[in-house]
Amino acid sequence: MANPLSDSSQKYDLGFARWVYQNVKGGDKLSMCMQCGACSGSCPIGTDMDHGPRKLIMMVRAGMKEAVLTSNTLWNCTHCYRCTVRCPRGVPVTHIIQGLGAMAADLGYAREEDTVRFARSFWWSVTHFGRTDERLVTAKYYFSFGFKEGARRGLDNLKIALGMIKKGRMHLGLPHKVAGQKDLRAILAKAAEIEAREMKEGSSHD
Amino acid sequence: MTEDGKDKGAKKKFVYYPGCSSQGSSKHLDESLRAIVPALGLEMEEIDDWNCCGASVGNIGGGALPATALSGRNLAKAEKQQATDVITGCAACYLNTHGANEKIKADIALRGKINESLAVADMSYEANLQVRHACEVLVNEVGMEKIKERVTHPLNGLKVAGYVGCQTVRPFANTDSGGNYDTFDDPEFLDQFAEACGAEAVDFDVKTSCCGGSVSVISPEKTLHLIKKILQAAQDSGADVISTPCPLCQTNVEMYQPAINKKFGTNFNIPVVFYSQLMAKAFGLDGKKDAGLHRNTIRSKKLDILVRNS
Repeated sequence: MANPLSDSSQKYDLGFARWVYQNVKGGDKLSMCMQCGACSGSCPIGTDMDHGPRKLIMMVRAGMKEAVLTSNTLWNCTHCYRCTVRCPRGVPVTHIIQGLGAMAADLGYAREEDTVRFARSFWWSVTHFGRTDERLVTAKYYFSFGFKEGARRGLDNLKIALGMIKKGRMHLGLPHKVAGQKDLRAILAKAAEIEAREMKEGSSHD
Repeated sequence: MTEDGKDKGAKKKFVYYPGCSSQGSSKHLDESLRAIVPALGLEMEEIDDWNCCGASVGNIGGGALPATALSGRNLAKAEKQQATDVITGCAACYLNTHGANEKIKADIALRGKINESLAVADMSYEANLQVRHACEVLVNEVGMEKIKERVTHPLNGLKVAGYVGCQTVRPFANTDSGGNYDTFDDPEFLDQFAEACGAEAVDFDVKTSCCGGSVSVISPEKTLHLIKKILQAAQDSGADVISTPCPLCQTNVEMYQPAINKKFGTNFNIPVVFYSQLMAKAFGLDGKKDAGLHRNTIRSKKLDILVRNS
């Protein structure tokens, strides 16, 4: 099973590639990939991934939905954009990996992933204050693992936190908030509503 | 000088987008930019009541369109202030805001959706702005000669490793909309900034290697080896300080040195500063209020001596 592409027990979803093509930012460029591997060769962390970007793109095209959406590639990507600028075929590899990550999170493949937990804490800060409160986002993220693990992570990083406080680089006191928070929330709610509407329209065409 | 660029510059109105890290981990980038940009003759006012750009996980936390709408609101605010150009010093803010702006300009359907969202708050964006990275503005709008002329307290003898990182130059530095100010793999502007300030730019071949970005914040165990590579190269090059334009690079590369020393048995203690802190110092501005040197957790003795003697 070392090579999932030759594993005949894998489930294939032949509509997956088309779905990605239509719904993931940059997905329409998937067909441009010629499998040269410049992306994987350029990736700073490719050797730590289940599948490098080149292989991941092939797996999308082969319809290997489960394997793609459970791959750690989606969460190890550091968004350095090296693959994107080096791709000789103009495939926005970083955006595709990001889009697949958002899709995996939406479809419930990655509820426990660090990045998805962090994203939830982050979005909580954005919707409540309009800004990232680094201190609260980090605390909420740490304690999403439960009290014990949260406390452990907190203690592990205590020196960093104290250093930041000493240098005036950790905000203390009430979170900074945008004045137009009500407006911002309404804008974000409307954008989410439009996105949901479009998804529904998109899927009804299939 | 009355060349074309300068004339156009006179008609531009710059608004400044500090971003969330300016109120936390990267106050010293914000403080030093607010000092050096006017010192170089450019006025900028802050975007009124700006919000977060969505950073690197906004699309996962809130969805792609809501994440773009965050930039939509900032851009609408800036346009209402009669701005022509938005300047930001933060790599993630630049990536998101510039990226969103270019898409909103090119994709009329997307512009419609963003304006439909903004309309609930009686706002709209006509897509008339240019979003620019502070480094690109310094290169294209100010120019290396003018930076050099402004230096009153050259950083003689200071060896600087110019660490550019990723999103400051990728994917926009070498594009028309990004101002074509340098290359993706081997940019030179940071070395030129250091040299304009009288310092020595050392050879530093990992200048665009990745520090792990947000992954280093979320799951540092995955990426400490990436930061180690950057520190090792800086040490090998004989640099006194690493200079960077990116808030996340500055924090990651500085803060994780004890964790890296523990994990790999190394002994790094290398100061990591913003290029703008070096400029503030070389321009003879206040070391604390303007350069924010007191905010670095690892101080550079050599830089401190230069500061004291100035």
